[in-house]
Amino acid sequence: MDNTTRRSSAAKPTGESTDEDLMADFCHGSQDAFNELFLRYKQPLFGFFRRRVADAAQAEELTQESFVAVIRASSRYEPSALFRTYLYAIGLKILSAYRRKAAFRATFTGAPDAYREPAALGNLEMEYVLRQAVGKLDRLEREILMLREFEQLSYVEIGELLHLPVNTVRSRLFRARLALHNLLADPTPTADAEQARIEESA
Amino acid sequence: MNTIAEHPVAPEQIMAFFDGELSAADAQNVAAHLDGCSACASLVGQFRDLSQSLTQWSVALVPQSVEDAVKGFAARTSATSKSGKPPAPFLFGIWNGKFVPFAVTGIAACALLMVGVEISDSYRNARIIPHRSEVVELPNKDTDTAGYDAPASVPPSLPAQSPMNVATPAIAAMAQQTSALDGNAAASPAASMQLNSPTTSAAPMIAHTASLAITVKDLSAARASLDAILARHQGYAAQLTVESTANFPRSVTASLRIPASGLSSAIGDLKTLGRVERESQSGEDVSQQHTDLAERIKTARATEESFRGILQQRTGKISDVLEVEQSIARVRGEIEAMEAEQTRLEHRVDYATIELQLNEEYKEEIPSAAFSLRFHNASVAGYRNASEIVASIILFLVQYVLSILIWLALVCIPALLIWRYRKALSRL
Repeated sequence: MDNTTRRSSAAKPTGESTDEDLMADFCHGSQDAFNELFLRYKQPLFGFFRRRVADAAQAEELTQESFVAVIRASSRYEPSALFRTYLYAIGLKILSAYRRKAAFRATFTGAPDAYREPAALGNLEMEYVLRQAVGKLDRLEREILMLREFEQLSYVEIGELLHLPVNTVRSRLFRARLALHNLLADPTPTADAEQARIEESA
Repeated sequence: MNTIAEHPVAPEQIMAFFDGELSAADAQNVAAHLDGCSACASLVGQFRDLSQSLTQWSVALVPQSVEDAVKGFAARTSATSKSGKPPAPFLFGIWNGKFVPFAVTGIAACALLMVGVEISDSYRNARIIPHRSEVVELPNKDTDTAGYDAPASVPPSLPAQSPMNVATPAIAAMAQQTSALDGNAAASPAASMQLNSPTTSAAPMIAHTASLAITVKDLSAARASLDAILARHQGYAAQLTVESTANFPRSVTASLRIPASGLSSAIGDLKTLGRVERESQSGEDVSQQHTDLAERIKTARATEESFRGILQQRTGKISDVLEVEQSIARVRGEIEAMEAEQTRLEHRVDYATIELQLNEEYKEEIPSAAFSLRFHNASVAGYRNASEIVASIILFLVQYVLSILIWLALVCIPALLIWRYRKALSRL
């Protein structure tokens, strides 16, 4: 686990600057403020990409690209929402752009499965089963579940990121958890998944 | 995971309670319910177990290279940002990669469509051009027909075109000179036309037409009787057709011409050939046509005489003389055509027309052909039909397969690309 932390204005320890304060300081030229923000979110954001992108190097690039986008947009930053929401919104946009480009390449190269390799080639059986089960969820429900479980976002934040009502987020999250529970209770892998698993272990 | 519909707290509320997303009052209510409901408490336990399971999906630490690159970029940007705002994104951020696949696919589809339309137009033009060239090569009637060139078959009801109205300036000039020399106004065609008043015929000219359809028992005997009737009434067959098709009754279709005075007796004789199925008679008054034609002939002759007079007393150039001779020739041709039409009209009046249809009573005949012959004929017909079908298919393919392939490519390639794009996107 990547020790995901929730350090927003609602959960900051006493005496520690909030993310929004740090971002405001960075907008006024404080390099230290950005270093602190980077320290807080480098691992969560890398985990965000790593769980969604097959290639580890690509996840690093996307992480770097997201922070670069934050730096470039600092002059236009307005603290209308939590910095965490702002950061993951940037991450989702960059991820969507990457997926479109990858899909466009796959349209002509015909190798979309190359991007479907598991994110982490760990040896743990449970980790493999988890990846397979999450991958079988509906796309939107999977995104909501991952934002909730791994990024620890609230329903409101998820709704803002995905442009969904809170009630929809709640109902879809419930369905995702229900489906994932059933998948983990009866993880019957398909022939393809079993073959991929054999290749992976080899 | 169990859904508990009968519980006062919805499962989604229990999940929200587990996630800390309920208000304090709602959370208190759910907590109170959980204390007394083991099923709902187990639901919370299942949520907890699921979250605990997901923590096993670990991710490696972010590499140091990312940290170095980002911090370095931040330091550089911080140093340069004081000089001004960063540049605006290209095309206000519209061209951010989102529309790239659609734009490329759309441009490719448009290009293919334009190529297809261009090829189609070229093919169509290649087929049309020969017809256009034929049209272009036709003589320009507006420039060539300076004289009187009305066709001989012009309807009598239309006003006849006066040759003087279309005479060339050279002829008019010569006519003026001739008139001046002679001092005789009656020499001009217009004057002669005014002097000639139309004459009317007192007796009407009627063109009789009759139609008969007769069913006969023996067509050969009826045909012989028909010849005898024609000879007796001094008539003749303008047109006669005998049809004899297998499995169908024989028939004779004829257009007879009988002197008008003997029309009634001829019809009476024809009725004796068999059973009359249909009979009709009509008469067309062509007196006015005949009168109009006679007047036009008279006028044209006067015009011809005037031209000849001009030619005899010519004082103009050689070209003018030639032009007058051409006009005389043209008027002469028109006169002859009108005279022929007049003769034909008079002939229609003198000889009545009988459209005769003789049908033989049909008798079914026992087929005499042997089975082997019929089998042979059927085989030949079947082979011919099959070969025609194969030939039609081959010709169709040769003619249209290339176009069909092009249009299929125009439609299918973009559709295939879009499908593959969406499929790849859904897998990511």
